[in-house]
Amino acid sequence: MVTVFGKRIRFFRPRTIWVRRVVQWFFFLLIVLISINHTLAEGGGGLSFLSSASLHAVCPFGGVETLYTFAASGLLVKKIHDSSLVLAGIVLILSFLFGPVFCGWVCPLGTVQEWVGKFGKKIFKRRYNHFIPTRIDSILHYARYGILAWVLYVTATSGTLIFESYDPYFALFNFWSTEVAWSAIAVLGVTLLLSVFVERPWCKYACPYGAVLGVTNLFRVFSIKRAESTCKADGACSIMCPMNIPVDSVKVVRDHQCISCLECTSEAICPVAKTVVLTSGGVK
Amino acid sequence: MTLTSKPLAVIVLILVFGGILFSSMMGWWATESTKQPVTFSEGEFAGQANPADIRGSYTFGDIANSFDVTPEILAQAFGITEGNPSEFAVKELEVIYLDSGFEIGTASVRLFVAYYTGLPFDTTDQEIYMPQSATDILLAKGNLSPEQVAYLEKYTVTVDASIPAEEPVVDATPAPAVSSSTTSEEFTVKGKTTFGELLSWGVTQEVIEAIIGTSMPDPAMSVKDFASANGLDFESLKPALQSEVDKVKP
Repeated sequence: MVTVFGKRIRFFRPRTIWVRRVVQWFFFLLIVLISINHTLAEGGGGLSFLSSASLHAVCPFGGVETLYTFAASGLLVKKIHDSSLVLAGIVLILSFLFGPVFCGWVCPLGTVQEWVGKFGKKIFKRRYNHFIPTRIDSILHYARYGILAWVLYVTATSGTLIFESYDPYFALFNFWSTEVAWSAIAVLGVTLLLSVFVERPWCKYACPYGAVLGVTNLFRVFSIKRAESTCKADGACSIMCPMNIPVDSVKVVRDHQCISCLECTSEAICPVAKTVVLTSGGVK
Repeated sequence: MTLTSKPLAVIVLILVFGGILFSSMMGWWATESTKQPVTFSEGEFAGQANPADIRGSYTFGDIANSFDVTPEILAQAFGITEGNPSEFAVKELEVIYLDSGFEIGTASVRLFVAYYTGLPFDTTDQEIYMPQSATDILLAKGNLSPEQVAYLEKYTVTVDASIPAEEPVVDATPAPAVSSSTTSEEFTVKGKTTFGELLSWGVTQEVIEAIIGTSMPDPAMSVKDFASANGLDFESLKPALQSEVDKVKP
């Protein structure tokens, strides 16, 4: 409440998890700089204090893609390095503890979709992210498992990163390179365009890595839990959820789409303290 | 235990960068290839480098460090006539042969190295194309099994090896292992003709050594350079070598 010209006015705006935005910015800039440095290093230049690793080397999904080849022959798929396996292991540990926190806090492609989504929110207000009927939306959520199966199959049988030709992450941070296929640029373009209407469309419907990490929502140590005793059932948590999860209708969020962004919690949109929380214990 | 965003952010950062630091200390963190292919872990070839692990980032020099094949032979096989063969990166082949309609790249180099060195390589369900110049060298070496020869016959495409690396011209049709499109001009012994070319034309190492009177040098060495280095007259070697070439040329 503030007093302006003698009148008491309440400026209300939903609280957000600002520290998440900082972490997202950090990883976005880090990947941009590494990618540019990689290009410079290939030309004989680059900054010595910054990693000049390729995008593949700093993407944990590469560790998933190469798993079959690694188990079968001890080799890594072409363009994948040991660092991908290490990162995949770290992200898996994070996900066992907190769910797909990588998607909500680290992945730069998710971050960019969120940024584009801000335009959509300004244009469409509350209709944003609610264009697709719930029933169809919930079915489409499983498409990413089909894509995951396809990616794993073609990678295992070909020994190469076929997915690279369709990967919007690779296109986004390497679009200036001749290595990027037009198909990947097209997928990126469609993803960014859809982001104006739907929050994180790639994450929701197509991301194969999100599909892998999403499974950890079923048994993660720290879960999003709602205390029914104090819940006002105003639905704010569900409206705020970027992944369209009906948080207000469950006690524990076990939805495979949850990205642990915490935007539904009492620290952000929920107006009641300690009602929607990230916890390893129980709530009343 | 309940967590809020700030402790979660700290935990995420600590786990990510702590994990990277820990893996570095353990020697697990590698963002680029060591240029050392993994070795066969069992069987007859245990301990030897595995050609299947050759990466696009390897140079021909890197390959020569791990396998018994010189950068010059690799350059000759893949039509690289400019620059230092040792510094040529394998992944550049994909760019050079981009317009050929066939993927000639890292897999082709892996197959070539495997066949050249006699190391095992699984081609099951793989379509690995090979330029004619590479197939010629492999056939001349004479250590291929009938199955390997059949595979090469199926997946060889004709390539003019004399075209500079920047401007390859590739015939977009698979050709028999020994191309009938090769002209007689290419079977003429000249000053720049290398021993590798003589081998690829079908002249055996024994015949060459009988003519030059000593062990055959590096296949990448030209006959003229060899003659100069050993005090021999190239013009006297040339007719004898040409005679042998004429006997075996198609």
